[in-house]
Amino acid sequence: MLEMLSYDFMQRSLVAAALVGAVCSVIGVFVVLRGLAFVGAGTAHAAFAGVTLAYLLGLPPLPLAVIFGLATVWVTGVMEEKGQMKLDVSIGILYTATMALAILFIGLMKGYNAEVYGYLFGSVLSVTPEELRAILALSFLVLGVLLVFSKELYFIAFDQEMAEASGVPARRIFYLLLTLVALTVVVSLKTVGAILVFAMVLIPASTAYQLTHSLFHMTAYAVSIGIVCAVGGVLLSYVWDLPSGPAIVLLATTLFFLSVLVSPKRLRRAPAV
Amino acid sequence: MAKTIIHFSHATFGFPGVIALKDVSLEIAEGEFVGVIGPNGSGKTTLCRAILGLMRPLEGSLQIFDCACEELRCHHRARIGYLPQKGALDRNFPITVLEAVMMGRYGALGLFRRPTKQDREIALEALSNVGMQDHRNAALGLLSGGQQQRVFIARALAQQPQVLLLDEPTTGIDITTQHSVLDLIRRLHRDLGLTVLLITHDINMIRSLVDRLVLLKTRLFAAGPPEEVLRPDLLSQVYGKDLVITEKDLVIVEDYHH
Repeated sequence: MLEMLSYDFMQRSLVAAALVGAVCSVIGVFVVLRGLAFVGAGTAHAAFAGVTLAYLLGLPPLPLAVIFGLATVWVTGVMEEKGQMKLDVSIGILYTATMALAILFIGLMKGYNAEVYGYLFGSVLSVTPEELRAILALSFLVLGVLLVFSKELYFIAFDQEMAEASGVPARRIFYLLLTLVALTVVVSLKTVGAILVFAMVLIPASTAYQLTHSLFHMTAYAVSIGIVCAVGGVLLSYVWDLPSGPAIVLLATTLFFLSVLVSPKRLRRAPAV
Repeated sequence: MAKTIIHFSHATFGFPGVIALKDVSLEIAEGEFVGVIGPNGSGKTTLCRAILGLMRPLEGSLQIFDCACEELRCHHRARIGYLPQKGALDRNFPITVLEAVMMGRYGALGLFRRPTKQDREIALEALSNVGMQDHRNAALGLLSGGQQQRVFIARALAQQPQVLLLDEPTTGIDITTQHSVLDLIRRLHRDLGLTVLLITHDINMIRSLVDRLVLLKTRLFAAGPPEEVLRPDLLSQVYGKDLVITEKDLVIVEDYHH
């Protein structure tokens, strides 16, 4: 078991998984509380469209993934703010449109490109040193910004209009949150893949939601659960020769259903906050 | 004479194609207790949102703290403690009473500053002011409607506001709790010297509390001491029903009275 830790690729994948687990789950707290669940899914597919375009044009995938992800969340945010249509409708349209673009770009490629499919399904075991550095930089950026603006983010997650009325620049903070969601998705794309990245945003935070009535504790639980699932999933995938993305997500899903079973909220007793 | 801190001058508010409040001229002085009444859709909440700087006048002007509402900055808003209409709070939302009250400090603190021990003490004092200090670690969603209202009033107080703006604070809570919430508001006005604007449907409950009443029906119908505004002829015009004032100073719908 310890032998695997001597492999460079294994060390990189465990660090990448821990970072992705932490950053996805902490942003997930705000996504779950603010009701932006579908936005993450849409952003993941938009970022994947950016990756496919990059491979088609022979460009590095990360910048285009960031551009596609950011464009999607910002357009969604404007549509919600202007009240032009419901959030789930606008993100649903962008979700399918960007997925259609991704399929189109793949169709225009000459031959099969395994790296592109790595971004779709996740391949944490093949993270390169350069990719790990990019994941590290983006993770610290996202976590740093979250830390600096955590009080405002908590407030808009609880009640955005009240936050605005109390003197918090809630609109700008909302767009900051959307931007962080997009960056988080891009950070995690290589590790768990476009299809499953959103599970890592949603599931650890939803698991923590079951267990506490405190914002602070929810965040702490979510980060712990995210890291345990991501690292645990990589270890399981190595030991049992499983695909890493599904191993991570299914481990998280198992913990979620366990948390529902033991949730003090479901058992209708006041939890110790 | 007390200083005017809110000044509407022929102000009209609304949305494209819809006028919610038209040609309002009104001054509210420091330390006043003003009640705002009117039927559904009369513009009470619009008035409230305008004072919070969330709506700009389509015509006319609104000055708050000597500042045009278009230029109202976050630090100005932080001087107005706001209790919104009681919405359905998700019982499972993970937030404790103290965490909710601490949010009242965030606007006043501004960006990049972390809450300090002193902010926590201010929040605890606000909880103490509303008699909820023993519930500080309780889950907000598990409290009764009246207790939640007290917590939200504490959040507004934690801003250390000059103005307390209360939108239907007694809606959705039982009659005993309504009285205790109104007693609390009366005491806060008296003890802390706050300017209070209380928006309500319940004329009978607030008439003895306020210095002045403002009667709205998409425009300012009347403003003055309760005995001047609560006239059957004025109320009947606004509410579209015959209203009478009984010997016990209760306003009732005449059909119901008979």
